[in-house]
Amino acid sequence: MRQSYKIAILFLIVMGVFPLFSNSAWLAVGTTFLIYSVVAFSQDIILGRAGAFQMGQAVFFGLGAYTTAILNVQFGVPIIYTFIPAIIIPLILAIILAGPVIHLRGDYLLIATIGFNIIFIQVVQNNVFELTGGPNGIFGIDVVKIFGIEFMSQTAVYYMSFILLALTLWIMRNLDASKFGRAMFYINKDDIAAQSMGINVRYYKLYAFALGSAIAGAAGSMFAIQYSAVSPEAFNVVQSIMFFTIVLVGGSASLPGVLIGTFVMFVLPEIFREFATARYLVFGLAMILTMILRPRGIWPVKFGNIPNYLKKDKK
Amino acid sequence: MKRTMLKLATSVVACGALVASLNAADVIKIGVQAPITGKYANEGQSIDNGVKLIVAQYNANGGVLGKKLEVVSCDDEGVAQKAAICARKLVNAGVLAVIGSYTSGATEAAQTTYFRNKVLQTSDGTSDSLTKHKYWTFFRNSFPNSAEAKFTANYLVNVKKYKKIVILSDFSSYSTGLADATVKAIKSLNGNVIYSGKIKSGTQNFTAVLTKIKSMKPDVIYFSGYYNDGGLLRAQQIQLGIKADFVGGDSNDNPDFMKLAGDSAKGTFLINVPTPDILPYDIAKKFLKDYKAKYGMMPASIWTLLNIDGLRAVLYGVKETKSTNTKKISDFLHNLKGFPGITGPVNFRSDGERIGGGYMAYEVQGDNSYKIVYK
Amino acid sequence: MDIFLQQLINGLTVGSLYALVALGYTMVYGVMKLINFAHGDLVALSAFAGLTIYVQIFGEAKSSLFLVLGVFIITALLIAVVGVLLERLAYRPLRMAPRLSAVVSALGASLVIQNAIMLIWGPNMKIFPSNLFPSTIWTVHNVVFTFTQVMIMGVSAVLMIGLYIFINKTKMGTAIRATAIDQDAAKLMGINVNRVIMIIFIIGSSLGAVAGLFIGINYRGITFDMGWMYGLNAFVAAIMGGIGNIPGAMFGGILLGLFNAMISGYISSEWAQTFTFVLLIVILIFRPTGILGETIAEKV
Repeated sequence: MRQSYKIAILFLIVMGVFPLFSNSAWLAVGTTFLIYSVVAFSQDIILGRAGAFQMGQAVFFGLGAYTTAILNVQFGVPIIYTFIPAIIIPLILAIILAGPVIHLRGDYLLIATIGFNIIFIQVVQNNVFELTGGPNGIFGIDVVKIFGIEFMSQTAVYYMSFILLALTLWIMRNLDASKFGRAMFYINKDDIAAQSMGINVRYYKLYAFALGSAIAGAAGSMFAIQYSAVSPEAFNVVQSIMFFTIVLVGGSASLPGVLIGTFVMFVLPEIFREFATARYLVFGLAMILTMILRPRGIWPVKFGNIPNYLKKDKK
Repeated sequence: MKRTMLKLATSVVACGALVASLNAADVIKIGVQAPITGKYANEGQSIDNGVKLIVAQYNANGGVLGKKLEVVSCDDEGVAQKAAICARKLVNAGVLAVIGSYTSGATEAAQTTYFRNKVLQTSDGTSDSLTKHKYWTFFRNSFPNSAEAKFTANYLVNVKKYKKIVILSDFSSYSTGLADATVKAIKSLNGNVIYSGKIKSGTQNFTAVLTKIKSMKPDVIYFSGYYNDGGLLRAQQIQLGIKADFVGGDSNDNPDFMKLAGDSAKGTFLINVPTPDILPYDIAKKFLKDYKAKYGMMPASIWTLLNIDGLRAVLYGVKETKSTNTKKISDFLHNLKGFPGITGPVNFRSDGERIGGGYMAYEVQGDNSYKIVYK
Repeated sequence: MDIFLQQLINGLTVGSLYALVALGYTMVYGVMKLINFAHGDLVALSAFAGLTIYVQIFGEAKSSLFLVLGVFIITALLIAVVGVLLERLAYRPLRMAPRLSAVVSALGASLVIQNAIMLIWGPNMKIFPSNLFPSTIWTVHNVVFTFTQVMIMGVSAVLMIGLYIFINKTKMGTAIRATAIDQDAAKLMGINVNRVIMIIFIIGSSLGAVAGLFIGINYRGITFDMGWMYGLNAFVAAIMGGIGNIPGAMFGGILLGLFNAMISGYISSEWAQTFTFVLLIVILIFRPTGILGETIAEKV
C-alpha cells in the first residue's frame, strides 16, 4: 500500500500545478478527468473492494447531478447548498435499491443494476413531476457563488473538482485501515468463514454501496457545475459500463490502476479526437487483450485486498 | 514510478505544444455545433459542409477584415449532453460565433454557456423557448414553432376541414412545443383534437400506439417530430390499414422520410418553409450550385440554408462593424433590416427572433417530389 | 376486442424476434456461464451484412422469395462464422479465467463489432428497400396481418421447434445439455466440449442472424448501435424465462414481446421499458431462476 500512497501524493502534486501550464481547453479536459476519476473510485469501492457486480453506477452519478440541477434551476437554491442533498439523495436511494438485490448471485446482480440504470433514464426522460426536464435535460445551471463572489472560470471549477478528488483519495486511504477495509479483506478471502466469525457480509456490502453512491453523487454535482447542463444520455448504461470496465481493466482496488483506467477511457478520447471513429474499436480490442494478458488489470494491487472472484474460479 | 514520470513528461510536452499553437492569432474562428453523427447525421453533416463551403469562399476573397476564417466543428450527436460539452469546447477554442445546432434541444443546452462567454450563436431550432431568455448572443435563423402552428391549424381546420384530428409528437422540447402550440391554435379555431399522444423517438416500432389510434377512426394524423420517426409512422400507419391523411411538421422534411415510408410516402403532406429548389433568389441558386459542385450532392434540406444565412449575417456584421467585438456585432444585427439571404430577407427582432417567413403545405408525389398544395 | 387482438399480433411479432435472439444468449450462458454481450451486435451486423448482400450481389431487381431465402442463408452462414471467431478469440482464452474477465472481454467484443459496423457502413442510418417481402396485408375482423409479420412468426416458430427437437432428441443435443449441467463431468464422459461450444455459437449466431434480417425487413431503418438495446431486452427475456433453459428463452421472448405491446398499447409507451425492468427485478428477487426455472444445478 505504501507505494500507492506515494503515487497518490505525486499525482495530487502534478494535478495541483497543472493549471499553471495550461489554457481553458486543457483545463476542461483536466476537470473531466478529475470528476470521472472520483466516480471511478466510487465504483471501485463497490466493485473492486466489496466485490459486488455493480453496473449501474451512473445512476448515483446522475442523481447527484440532477439533484443539483433541479434544486438550482427549478427551485432557485444556490449551488453551494445543493452539495449536501446531492450526496444524501443517492445515498438513500442506494440503500433502498441495493437492499433487496444485494444477495443475488453475481451475474443476476449485474443485470439488476443495469435494470436500475434503465429505469432511472426513463424516469428522467419522461419528465416526472415536470421536474426532470425530459430528454433535453436541464440547462442554465448557475455557477458557485460564495459571499457574492462568482466562481465561474474553468480554473475555479477545476480546483473544486481537485478538492473533491483529494477528499476521495483520503477516504480511500482511510478505508483500508478501517473496520470496513478489514472486513472486506476477510470477506474476499472466504466469505463463509468470515460470516461464521460474525462479520455481517450483507451490512458491509450495503455500506460499500452507500459510500460509493455518496461519492458518486458529489461528483455528479461537480459535473452539473462544469457543463451548466445535465441530460439523460450522460448517465446511461453505456457510462455505467465504462466505469465498470475502468475498475476491472485498470486494476481492482488499485489506486494507480483506477487512475490509469479513467485516463484511458475518458481523457484519451478527448486528446485523440481525430481518431474518433477508430478509437472505440481500439478500446474494445484493448479490453479483450488486457483481460487475456493481464487479467488482474493493467496495474494490479500488490498486497492484500484481492477479491476472491479475481482469482481462479472455484469449481 | 517510471510510468507516472513518463505520463507527466508527455502531458507537459503536449501542453507546451498546444500553448505554442494557440499563439497563431490573426484568424477568426467560426464554430459549428451540429449532429454530425447520430440520428440526424445527414442534416448535421450538411450544415458542417455548408459552413465550410462559405468559409472557403470568403477565404478565397481575402477573408474578413484581412483575417482568414477557420472552422472549428464539434459533433453534438443531436443530444443535449454532448451539446453542453461542445459548448464548453468551442468556447475554450476561442470562436467568435457558433452555427448550431440543428435540434432545438441541443441548441438550448448550449445556449447559456455561449451567453456567459459572449459567443454569438445562430440556430435553425424552432422551439419557442429558445428566445425566451432574450440572450443578446442568440439569433434564430428559422421561424418559431408558434408561427408554424398557426399555419398548420389553419390548414387542418379551415382548408382541409378535418373533423377528427390526432396529434402525435415525440419527447423533445421542439416537438412537444410544436404539438402544444398546434393544439392550442386548432382549439382556437374550434377544431376537434380527438387524441394527443407521444412516441419515443428511435424505437422504430409504433404499432402499439397506432393500433390505439386506429380504433378512434381519425381522418388525419399530424406528427410534429423528426423525419426518421415520421417515415416509419407513415409506413406502419398504412400497414395497419389506418385510412387517415398524414401531415408532417417541418422536421419531417428530409429525403430519409420518403425512404423510410417507402411506397406509403406518396400522398403524405408536409408543412415547411419553402424547399431549397423553389427558392426564387439568385444567391440561393448560386449556393446550391456551388454546394453540388463541391460535395457532389444537394444539401440535405432547407435547414442547412437557414443556418448558412445565419453565418452570412454574422460575417456581414463583422465586416460592417469592422470589429470582432461580439456585443457590437450583436447590436448591429439587431438593427439589420432586410439583409439579402438565400432563404429570403433576414431581419432580427430584439430578442433574437427572425421576422418574416412563409410556410407552405406540400403533397409528396409518386417520385418523391413535392407539389405545393397550399400557401 | 379487435384492438386487443391487434396488440396481440404486434406483441407476438416482436416477441418472436426477442425469442430468436434470446436463444443465443441462453445457450451460451447455460454452457459457459457467460453473458455474451456481443450477441446483440451480431444481430445488428447481420442486418447490415444482409442488406449489403441483397443490394450488392443480387441487385434490387425483382425480388423473389427464393432470392430472399438465399440472402437469409448466406447471411446466417456469415454470422455463424463471425460467432465462432468471436468465441475463439475473445472467450476461449478466458475459459479458465474468473467470470468477470470474460464479462469485460464480452463488452470489449461488443465495442469492436459495433464500431466495425460503423467503420464499414458509416455512422448514418441505412434503410432497407421495401420490396423484400410482398406488401400483402390480410385483414380478418379488423385485425391486420402483414406478410412480413406472418413470416416472422411462422419462421421463428419453425426454427424454435427445430431447435427443441435438436436439443432433446439428438445426440449432440444431449451433449449440449450435459455440458450445461457440468462441464468437467461432460469431459470425463468423452464429450468434446470445444465442439459443443462451437455448435452453440453457430446455432445461436444463426438464429440471431435470422432475427437481424427480419428486424431490417420489418423496421427498415438500421443503425450500428441498434444491437445493444435489442440484445439487452432479449437477455432480459431469457432471464425471465429461466436462463440456460431453451424453452424458457422462447417463452420469455414471447412473454416480453406481449408484455411490451400491452403496456405500450394500454398504458403508455413512455413507460414500457420501466415496466419491463421492474418486472425483471421483481422476478430476480422472488424467483431468480426464472419462470420456467434454471436447468443447471445451483452450486453453493
